[in-house]
Amino acid sequence: MRFEGKKAIVTGGSRGIGRACVVRLVREGAAVAVVYHQNRQAAEQLLAELSDARGSVCAIQADVRDYQRAAEIVDQLLQQWQRIDILVNSAGIIQDGLMGAMTPEQWRDVVETNLFGTYNYCRAVTQPMMMQRGGVIVNLSSTAAEFASRGQVNYAASKGGINGLTRALAKELAARNIRVNAVAPGMIETDMSQVVRGLAGDQIRNAIPLRRIGKPEEVAAVVAFLASDDAAYLTGQVIRVDGGLSLGGY
Amino acid sequence: MPTREEVFAKIKNALVEALGVEEDEVVPEATLVGDLGAESIDFLDIVFRLEKAFDIKIPRGELFPEDVLTNPQYVQDGKVTPAGLAELRRRMPFANLEKFEQNPVVQDFGNLLTVADMCRFVESKVEITD
Repeated sequence: MRFEGKKAIVTGGSRGIGRACVVRLVREGAAVAVVYHQNRQAAEQLLAELSDARGSVCAIQADVRDYQRAAEIVDQLLQQWQRIDILVNSAGIIQDGLMGAMTPEQWRDVVETNLFGTYNYCRAVTQPMMMQRGGVIVNLSSTAAEFASRGQVNYAASKGGINGLTRALAKELAARNIRVNAVAPGMIETDMSQVVRGLAGDQIRNAIPLRRIGKPEEVAAVVAFLASDDAAYLTGQVIRVDGGLSLGGY
Repeated sequence: MPTREEVFAKIKNALVEALGVEEDEVVPEATLVGDLGAESIDFLDIVFRLEKAFDIKIPRGELFPEDVLTNPQYVQDGKVTPAGLAELRRRMPFANLEKFEQNPVVQDFGNLLTVADMCRFVESKVEITD
């Protein structure tokens, strides 16, 4: 029970990797607030699934692009919990398209959701975590930040931004005992990656040294490790969870 | 409404918590950077604690106007220009800038603010009783 008594926020927590993070944290004893955007049904299913878990869970609807709303949610949770121990920034979208055809809306939606959303929640928890002299932030990046894919300039830029934010913020907050790390998943079985997997399934599998697509739970296990005291001496790192995809070579 | 002594006591408490210094080190003439070892992030921490202790809002940059010191309009060759000094005087009526004005090297600015300046700053934000 690594998270007994811990209070956590997980954005994008109703589906995919965020959902797996919520399950892991709650099953290990945390009280988790799931921030979800549109899929109320998925959030309710998650709450029902975790009704007998050791920890507790609640769901809050919000668009992570809304700075003011992030501040309100954190204030509201602080009144209830008096502290925030863990923030997992998992809300993310893709809107792939080649640069020659990418609309400003596609660019803006992805960068605002993935990068600005991460900023909004990091910004909101910085003050309470500084005041309580401790906390952990885990941001969801992607191997796409460092390894190029056609049609993903917006997504790659947003995730590259998250890597930079993670390192700079880690340095800023280290003296206050706040750790900031990121996890960079490769190809994972989520709704978000299904189109790419559908188009190039075998090709992708063959490029992954472990010869299979990853599971959201396998990313959540690393997020949970980073969020726990097991990673007490680890900050400012971007950990790849990609079955070896980024190793390159032959 | 707090008295001046109560303001000082709360500020002392905020500085002890934010900077990890001993209570007897927090005297009115102590400088925040030189004597109490404050770094840039500590100013943010101190602001958070003052806001909570006095139930006030302190706009970022009001206690320590870093934006002036990083603005090329106000800084030349590592020194604050006359226009920059005028801006600092306007923004920091609670601080004693006389000594700094004699040789306004930007790097020395951090060592300007004292605990007494901070008390004056808070007193300008809250109503004081005698």
